[in-house]
Amino acid sequence: MLFNSLTFVVFFAVVLSLYWSMRSWNGRKNLLLVASYIFYGAWNPPFAALLFSTTALDFYLGRKMGKVQTPAERRVWLWISVAVNLSMLGFFKYGNFLLENFTWVLARGGIQYKPPHLDVFLPIGISFYTFHSLSYTLDIYRGVMRPTRSLRDFTLAVSFFPQLVAGPIVRAGDFLPQLEAPPQPQKGRFLWGLLLMTLGLFEKVVLADTLLAGSADRVFGYAGPLVALDSWTGVIAFAGQIFFDFAGYSICAIGAALCLGFHLKDNFRFPYAAVGFSDFWRRWHISLSTFLRDYLYIPLGGNRQGAARAMVNLIIVMFIGGLWHGAAWTFVVWGLLHGSYLAIERLIKAVFKQPPRWAESLAFQLLVGLITYIAVLVAWVYFRASDFETASRMISGMFGRHARADAILSTREILQVAVVTFFLLIAHWSLREISLEAAVARLPRWVVTSAWFLMACAIILTQGNSNAFIYFQF
Amino acid sequence: MPSSTSNFEFQRVIPAHPWRGISVTVIVAVLIAVAVWEVYCRSLGYEPTLNDTSDLWAEARRRVQPESLVLIGDSRMWFDMDLDEIEHGLGKRPVQLAHAGSCAYPVLKDLADDEHFHGTIICSIVPRLYFAPPEAPPVELSRKAVQRYHGQTWAQRASHELSIPLELSFAFLKQDDLTLEALLKELPIPNRPNALVPPRLPPYFCSIDRERRARMVEQCAQPGRLQDRVKRGWLKLFTPPPPPTFVPPEAFGAKMNAAIAARYTDTKIAVDKLRARGGKIVFVRFPVSGELKKLEDEQTPRAKTWDPLLQQTAAPGIYFEDFPELASFTCPEWSHLSAGDSVEFTKRLVPHLRDALQLNAVAEN
Repeated sequence: MLFNSLTFVVFFAVVLSLYWSMRSWNGRKNLLLVASYIFYGAWNPPFAALLFSTTALDFYLGRKMGKVQTPAERRVWLWISVAVNLSMLGFFKYGNFLLENFTWVLARGGIQYKPPHLDVFLPIGISFYTFHSLSYTLDIYRGVMRPTRSLRDFTLAVSFFPQLVAGPIVRAGDFLPQLEAPPQPQKGRFLWGLLLMTLGLFEKVVLADTLLAGSADRVFGYAGPLVALDSWTGVIAFAGQIFFDFAGYSICAIGAALCLGFHLKDNFRFPYAAVGFSDFWRRWHISLSTFLRDYLYIPLGGNRQGAARAMVNLIIVMFIGGLWHGAAWTFVVWGLLHGSYLAIERLIKAVFKQPPRWAESLAFQLLVGLITYIAVLVAWVYFRASDFETASRMISGMFGRHARADAILSTREILQVAVVTFFLLIAHWSLREISLEAAVARLPRWVVTSAWFLMACAIILTQGNSNAFIYFQF
Repeated sequence: MPSSTSNFEFQRVIPAHPWRGISVTVIVAVLIAVAVWEVYCRSLGYEPTLNDTSDLWAEARRRVQPESLVLIGDSRMWFDMDLDEIEHGLGKRPVQLAHAGSCAYPVLKDLADDEHFHGTIICSIVPRLYFAPPEAPPVELSRKAVQRYHGQTWAQRASHELSIPLELSFAFLKQDDLTLEALLKELPIPNRPNALVPPRLPPYFCSIDRERRARMVEQCAQPGRLQDRVKRGWLKLFTPPPPPTFVPPEAFGAKMNAAIAARYTDTKIAVDKLRARGGKIVFVRFPVSGELKKLEDEQTPRAKTWDPLLQQTAAPGIYFEDFPELASFTCPEWSHLSAGDSVEFTKRLVPHLRDALQLNAVAEN
């Protein structure tokens, strides 16, 4: 079920009405659990069973880990949890990818093997709910939390519908405590949640789908060489599209959770105003970057074993991060590019331990911000392109290296991308040091009212003729 | 050690504003804006009608029974065939699966692959659409609709059901014309002289009912600004785009010829498969007029498209120009019949269909 669908509007209205009319906290939690499984099952009912089996197994393994005394025993249960979760993910998401690569390796060795294509459906949001569930056993192993006694609560924590299919990746340790007692009344929470949902939908259906997606799709779908203007416009459009699409989903999720009295953390913090790549990853898909930091980068040794090892660790983490996004080498290259950016940044910081004073000037910060943005754009090419041929054609186009190239975008499309990106960058740079809430609190009432009104009108004007969220496929 | 029952300290901040007052103001303002927009759209001639979405197509596809009479093809089948007259003349209520601007082949293949289906297909042929290359928009359009039918989720079905009463109540819910995207496309911004920008689709000029029967609006059936706009739209859409600059002309020509040859072969395979189960098919070329007819005859002459199709598939066909009673109609905007003419046209077409389907049976014997 998509947030940007009429079904969800009705579904959410029914859930909210029943939820707030119930007195029993257990009854409300049962309702949310049923609603979450309906939300997920409305896409493909059998996969709801897969979701439950993963959850139930981690609940059981968590209990086991809680009972054993020694770290070695805990480690055994953890490895079972990691192996089962990643095997599920591997089979559904990476089965064909692994098979293709295996065949390719055999062919290099002179062995011709043609395996049948695995006709498997990718369960929607499997990368997200696997990480939701896995965070539970990982945190119990790390000693960060104790296992819960309630299968119902844990199942709800994993499947809570606002964040189930496209994040944020909410750790069980952040959500389970909120299930202990009903939410305390908080003035304005419900309506602020609705405003956040409006903002998220506006970002998705108006900015991402209506104003940017068309240009990005046409540029990346064109089979020939493009002039620099069209190539850059396509990449910039995609950079905006993926931000508004994914950040829009996250804001909707946060807003929907708030309407139900739950608090989810931010997943984005104005990332296109990042100054440097570590700053970018503190602002982009925060729930994934902190997940990878806590459960992969730090266990690998983090930066505790010297600068060289830290750089290798960064590249390993971003390699995994790239692969998490999709079963294709283009995603791996995207991850490795970001890993390299982070490693180079670390190297520069290691060389210039005490940056000169001029490095703190606004002009220098803007310059580094611009370099960061351009490098991120180059990486997006590999993320969006369906294959390396397209990616390399795009990169050549961006740097004007085609002797003969076509222009395919209309002036209107170029203007749309330019205007949206201009305001996107202005907004990110203006808000980079503060939260959205703080910014809204400073605005006069009439501005908030007008903005909400205009966003709602624009959403209605798009008539819901919209696409699925990009991150659903991950 | 913190436990799962420990206090969760993170709480989102709620900005301090009088939220109740703000939300009431927004709701009232949005309702007023929607009402004003609706009145304005009606003043422009828009009426409430359904959008021809993939979901509406999938709903029609679900109505196909093993022995159904199915209409497939492009918008000419959509506009020019009257379902009541077909039912009256052939004894069966047809299922309308034609799709505007689409190639019928993916739908034909889907029906041919459906082991349960052994009914009758009436297929409209507009050569430029039917012989479009596999990745071209006309093929994609049909393929998307077929995919939607096979992969439609319960949530999508529910959204479709919910959208029907809204679309039948509000004139501004026109996905082709009155969305933000469509309105932006109307901005008079000139393009770069060398930009390869695809032509725009013509504006709204028909109503669609739940059975997907399209009827031309009266404003378009009469000479005027709308009719002229639609006519100009067809000429742009039916003029072939320049060949790509990045493929040598010979290679491109060879690729196109191979794609057309493959379409003939694939069509024959689909037709044979259908007939093997007792199904029937008849191809129909619907009326076309004016400059558009000239363009079509020049770009896709009958001898190079229609004749080989019938020859290769050994299927019966009805070409409007072969019968004076069918050729006497004029399409007001060159491509489709008016709502009134479509009824009369169908009435006159029915005997030919009856004959053709008997011919089909003879051919099988």
